[in-house]
Amino acid sequence: MGEKEGLQRLPAEDLFAAEIRALIENEKYPVPEGWRMSPRSVLTYICGGKAGKTTITPKYIGQKRLVEIAISTLITDRALLLIGEPGTAKSWLAEHLTAAINGDSTRVIQGTAGTTEEQIRYSWNYAMLIADGPSPEALIPSPVFRAMQEGTIARVEEISRCASEVQDALISILSEKRISVPEISLEVPAKKGFSLIATANTRDKGVNEMSAALKRRFNIIVLPSPDSLEREMEIVRSRVEQLAGGLGICAALPEDEVIEKVCTIFRELRQGMTLDGKQKLKPPSGVLSTAEEISLLAGSMALAAGFGNGTVGDYELASSLQGAIVKEEEADSKAWEEYLENIMKKRGRRWLGLYQECRELNRG
Amino acid sequence: MAGIVSGVPGIESGIERLNRFGIRHHSPAGAWHLREFLDKVRPERIFVEGPSDFTDLIEGITNEAVELPIAVMAYTEELPVRTLLYPLAEYSPEYQALLWAKEHGCECRFFDLPSDVFLGMEADRGEDGEEETGGKEETLVYARLDEAAGAGGQEAFWERVLENSEDAAGYQKGAELFGRFLRELSGEPGPAGSDGGRRENALREAYMRGRIREALAQGIAPEKIVTITGAYHVEGLAWEAPHMEETEFSALARRKTRRTLMPYSYYRLSRHSGYGAGNRAPAYCECLWEARQRGRADYAAYRYLSGLAAYQRKYGQAVSSAEVIEAVRLASALASLRGGKGPVLEDLRDAAVTCMGHGKFSEIALAVADTEIGTRLGTLPKGMGQTSIQADFYRELERLKLEKYRSLRAEELKLDLREKLTVQSRTLAFLDRERSFFLHRLRILGIRFASPGGGKQENATYAERWVLQWTPEAEIQIVEAVLKGDTVARAAAFQLKEQAEKNGGIGSVARTIRDAFLCGLPEAVSCGAHMLQATAVDAAGMEELAQASSELSQILKYGDIRNVNREGLIPILEQLFLRACLLLPGECVCDAGAADKLAEAVRQLDEVVREQDFLEEERWISVLEEISGRDDLNTKLSGFATAIRLEKGRMNQEEIHRETARRLSKGMPADLGASWFEGLALRNHYALIARLFLWQSLSDYLDTLDEEEFKRSLVFLRRAFSGFTSSEKDQIAENLGEIWGMNPNQVSEMVNEILNEEDQALVDTLSDFDFGDI
Repeated sequence: MGEKEGLQRLPAEDLFAAEIRALIENEKYPVPEGWRMSPRSVLTYICGGKAGKTTITPKYIGQKRLVEIAISTLITDRALLLIGEPGTAKSWLAEHLTAAINGDSTRVIQGTAGTTEEQIRYSWNYAMLIADGPSPEALIPSPVFRAMQEGTIARVEEISRCASEVQDALISILSEKRISVPEISLEVPAKKGFSLIATANTRDKGVNEMSAALKRRFNIIVLPSPDSLEREMEIVRSRVEQLAGGLGICAALPEDEVIEKVCTIFRELRQGMTLDGKQKLKPPSGVLSTAEEISLLAGSMALAAGFGNGTVGDYELASSLQGAIVKEEEADSKAWEEYLENIMKKRGRRWLGLYQECRELNRG
Repeated sequence: MAGIVSGVPGIESGIERLNRFGIRHHSPAGAWHLREFLDKVRPERIFVEGPSDFTDLIEGITNEAVELPIAVMAYTEELPVRTLLYPLAEYSPEYQALLWAKEHGCECRFFDLPSDVFLGMEADRGEDGEEETGGKEETLVYARLDEAAGAGGQEAFWERVLENSEDAAGYQKGAELFGRFLRELSGEPGPAGSDGGRRENALREAYMRGRIREALAQGIAPEKIVTITGAYHVEGLAWEAPHMEETEFSALARRKTRRTLMPYSYYRLSRHSGYGAGNRAPAYCECLWEARQRGRADYAAYRYLSGLAAYQRKYGQAVSSAEVIEAVRLASALASLRGGKGPVLEDLRDAAVTCMGHGKFSEIALAVADTEIGTRLGTLPKGMGQTSIQADFYRELERLKLEKYRSLRAEELKLDLREKLTVQSRTLAFLDRERSFFLHRLRILGIRFASPGGGKQENATYAERWVLQWTPEAEIQIVEAVLKGDTVARAAAFQLKEQAEKNGGIGSVARTIRDAFLCGLPEAVSCGAHMLQATAVDAAGMEELAQASSELSQILKYGDIRNVNREGLIPILEQLFLRACLLLPGECVCDAGAADKLAEAVRQLDEVVREQDFLEEERWISVLEEISGRDDLNTKLSGFATAIRLEKGRMNQEEIHRETARRLSKGMPADLGASWFEGLALRNHYALIARLFLWQSLSDYLDTLDEEEFKRSLVFLRRAFSGFTSSEKDQIAENLGEIWGMNPNQVSEMVNEILNEEDQALVDTLSDFDFGDI
């Protein structure tokens, strides 16, 4: 791993190399062809547990059953589609699944409005193509292409951002399980173990609805927002810890009370009512995901480290909250103010400091 | 009894050789393995867990014409009715045991505590506690069990491990262990329990042991006895503990019960059920049972998933066979991930959500309900095991051609009570009327078979809308009603009588009469009428009197459509009316709040007078005259009475002139005058608008007021005019225009003109005035 020091973000299989190794060493169940460990070990890797003496940290905190379904889907060599609101750990889950199953989470196509069909199938080295004509050497295989050759799993992120015709290029790949390159009369059949994990967003703007034909070729799992405050706090706490360690922020980890406040505010604004369900409130326009909570807290920590006294206090929190919640100026600012005055102000002493800071900022 | 037992040698040791087969209620695998087991053991006596007094119903239960699911129901003979249900489905081990016994000529008995003791114990626990104590503890045990069973909880655990088991011995052993585990969790090592549910279990097991010993004492070898109980009790039966003494048994609290068979439904089976555990997915269990019979373990999975797909297709969702195949594969993969042999319901459902529901349960929720629960409904052959009222209910259904509505699907029924002139027979001509009577009677008895459909019919009393839906609950309610009478009609009459006698005031008695009338029960009508008469003599509030009069008047007016004799009601209405007339003027001394209610009462009474010729109109007029003429009453009511007189044309020009001048004169406090006008305006607006002189008086009156008085009267006037439509206001403006000597156009212009600054300032000063709660 020595070479990889100093990288901003390591792929999952490097970050958790020790855990993966321990799981492989302690394998007790049959391993499907093309996989590095048994489905049960994959489940342990994702949801946490023990492998021999090594403790496996949970990567996905949420319904274990959903992970079981995801893994089972991949055993039956069906493609998997993870759908959910932004920040529900879709890509995170996909990355860790491929890391555990193949030990390689880097075969990714990032779906954007500019993604072309070539990026999904294959493209050419044009210099060579012009000089020598089509040849296997001039062919540049896509991540999907390579996954088929090797019998591994490829990922397509944000598939719904691709144009429809690009999405449809996947249909033939998923049903035929082969790519043909007519220019050099080459047929590449997928080896056993090939599959695809795609992720899609349900709430973002500028997404293209997926065709029914493509949807039929996927097993679809909808990842929910965390179902309870405690679980959400758990997720946020562990991820903030990891993130802060990785980025080397020199600030103390936020206290539980801080995390609880952030999660409470986010959950209430997301659901449009208070946690006890007694009061309705106006939700702001933006998406308030768990992922945003994590980056918000990391942001506050950076603020505290750089300009404050090293601990996340009300001031740091207030400025981060302001940035996260008020996205479309007018309306959001009003919704936020309503929340501050109607809900937070009446919560008593514990919330008073935060309330004052937030009000100060929101007025400015 | 103990004496007999101890007299037989070797009995104590014989207990171990007893064949104890533990099951889970409604477990298809249990039923299957049980039959295998019985085939092997060939017992002489079979004991099935269930109230021992149900034994004589076995003949009926196993009757070939019976279609399951059905339930045995025990109900108390006295009020309040308590019931105990013992449901059976085709795949219930208990049912298969009864069937096996019948096929092989083996003697079969229920051997749990009789139902009267069960219901006695329930009563013992007290009304408020009901099943709380036992229920809570049980839930706790099951929660602990869920935890111990790991992923999916105990239901999935049971299904994965035991429901899929291949051989009878394995199932028996597994069930026994499961039962033992359950006992440990609930902290019940021995028969000596302390409280609540535990004491009950101890009692039951002691009683069951007693029955076993009796059989042993009769000389039946323990190897030839099979007991079939819930897994929980398997260990309790082996206990070398004392069984129940005869004296102890007779000392138990009990409530006398009767028993009957009733049709049951899968839907109700899927909810909770009284005796024995419920069954989450009856239709799926039926698939499992079928799978056993076909000898194909995977049949249930295919059947379930294709059933879902078929439902989805039927309701417009495209589901391809490929998706079904993928779902089957995914379910198998999920099962193997958990270490199970075949997929269980949970796996199948999750696979279906993923492959057919696009990841959302909501998309296939209806299909899941249909495929897991199903709509199967049991039936009993005619005249079997039914109480008199059940039999009457079904006879009535047949007679009134309502049988097709006896389904789980809610259906609408529109009735037209008028005589149908196109049909031949008299019965057909009045079929709908008879139906209406019948459905109203059910409504009165609280039998939820029919509920009045929403939406008021277009002012036609001859049309009725009903929504009909049959549920086993309705059957239970019917059986419960047996205590009130042997037929639906008699029970309804009894119920109405009770209602009337409960006497919640004159208004409610009148409602009861109306109900009796709707039910077509003349005796109940006259009974209610007597009740009403008695109640009316005691002082009653004006509103209630008016309300009751109005109800009675309605019946009299529209009654002929139902062909119920109404003669008896006329004297009562006369009496009520007289009473109201006498009381009314005195009641009119009241504050503004009460005046509103009284105004409504006056309105109702006026309507009654208009509708019924036999009432003395002159008396009513004189009452109105008194109210309108007296100065010491609430002026609003006086105004209102005046308005009615005016409308009836019972006030001449001169009189109204005088009255208006008097009410709206300088001496009168401003608020009284304006309030009078408000009362006047409650009635026919056109009658007011048409009388120019009235506006003249009002205008003159307002001119006499000083500023302070004007502001006070404004409050009332504003309220009075809020009831007028804008076109009416225009007409008033015209009137005033004429009085002030301007032409209508000018006034209209003025009214519509934008306020100038001067006026605005004037209005602003007014807005400082507190209008209170107008």
